[in-house]
Amino acid sequence: MALLTAFARLSCKEVPSVARSFFTGPKLCVQVTPALYAEPLKKKKKIDPAVIKQREERRRKKLEKQIRRLEKNARQLKPVDELEVPLELLDEKEKRTRPKAALSQEEIESRAILQKEWARYKLKQKSQELQVVDRLMQAQQKALEELRKESEELFQEAIQPDLQMIPLTTKGPVATPPIENYESPDGEYLDISKKWT
Amino acid sequence: MLRRAVEKSIRVYSVQLRQLSANAAVKEKWDLHAGVLVERHPILTKPLNEIETKFQAMQSQIEFENSLKSDFELRHEKDLILAEKIKKGQMEVDLDDTSAKQTAQDLKDAYVEELKKFQLAPRTTEADKKKDKQATNRDLEDILYLLVDQKLGDKSHMILPQGQWQTGETLRQTAERVLKEKCGENIEVMFYGNAPCGFFKYKYPAAQRKDSVGVKIFFFRSALKSGNVDKKIAKKFEWLDKNELGGKLKREYAESVQQFLI
Repeated sequence: MALLTAFARLSCKEVPSVARSFFTGPKLCVQVTPALYAEPLKKKKKIDPAVIKQREERRRKKLEKQIRRLEKNARQLKPVDELEVPLELLDEKEKRTRPKAALSQEEIESRAILQKEWARYKLKQKSQELQVVDRLMQAQQKALEELRKESEELFQEAIQPDLQMIPLTTKGPVATPPIENYESPDGEYLDISKKWT
Repeated sequence: MLRRAVEKSIRVYSVQLRQLSANAAVKEKWDLHAGVLVERHPILTKPLNEIETKFQAMQSQIEFENSLKSDFELRHEKDLILAEKIKKGQMEVDLDDTSAKQTAQDLKDAYVEELKKFQLAPRTTEADKKKDKQATNRDLEDILYLLVDQKLGDKSHMILPQGQWQTGETLRQTAERVLKEKCGENIEVMFYGNAPCGFFKYKYPAAQRKDSVGVKIFFFRSALKSGNVDKKIAKKFEWLDKNELGGKLKREYAESVQQFLI
């Protein structure tokens, strides 16, 4: 590379060849040798072949390491079975499709009406819930204000976050009541999930 | 217009009144009490009402129409075709084979039969039948609130458990202590935060006013986790739903309490 630039410089900066003259004063602008604008190339050092071998070895190892790392990352991912549609279903799609139910005009109409009725119902329910939340917040706000009037310290204690509540677990209401002392029937447990290593 | 003017004047008047009373409050001394609202959360969801049932039926119908046929349905269809063929005599009936083979319909009948045998637990419990209001496993669909009989002055009232604040405690600690004192150690609850959820104040009768004028109660919300009130400590107590509660409490007290019931 260094060599190339040196040559390039040489070629683009053409040195005017001055005719050799006897006088060598600066006024005459006499140059005996052409200006090179570059230094001569260094002599190549001789390196011990053992060192070269070592370097080569080191470079190879580095490359190998990189390749190994790449391979490791590109390892195949564990597939999610649930996301893949079984081929069997794809093949039988035609067989499994239901004939399109012909809905009567009345049916369509009644469904549309029910949808709208449902939307209104949910809206009403939602606004009622919001009202309850508002009421609760108001009651709490009032309690806090009254507390502040009585004692600033107690108020400050009251507005501290309660860390005992975290983490919070609750069991929601269920659809059917639990049967007391119910023993669930034993079944055979077969683990058919594939092993991925 | 007139109404607005009247309302405005009332507001101005009430503001003045409040300022007056605020000035007075500086001199007045009130006892601070902590009250505990213990909720038994619903165990069962409420049954669907009319519109919910209708909408659910419609949704499942639409879902069915858009669904693909299941293996079971395919098998059933196959069975039907086979039966048809046998009927027409297009196929020979292999007696050994057909007797051994169960049709989809047979299977379905067996499943239905099995489901019929399974008994769900009743939605009403023993306590419901006995009208035992001290039990926590009654009225499974509603929130129940705990009322305890307590002596205030000379008379005793059914109220939310309450007790006086002592110096050095936070109100939350007072609430926890009060609950243990009034209801025993068996009852386990979870308090919802350090802040009170509601407020009520009442004045003592004129004859009994010595140091303080009355009581300011700060209510704390909590949820029942397990256990029940210790019957040795609290002689009389009840778990009531919102509607039953209203009838039990005194009017003004009830109004304040209703403010923070869900």
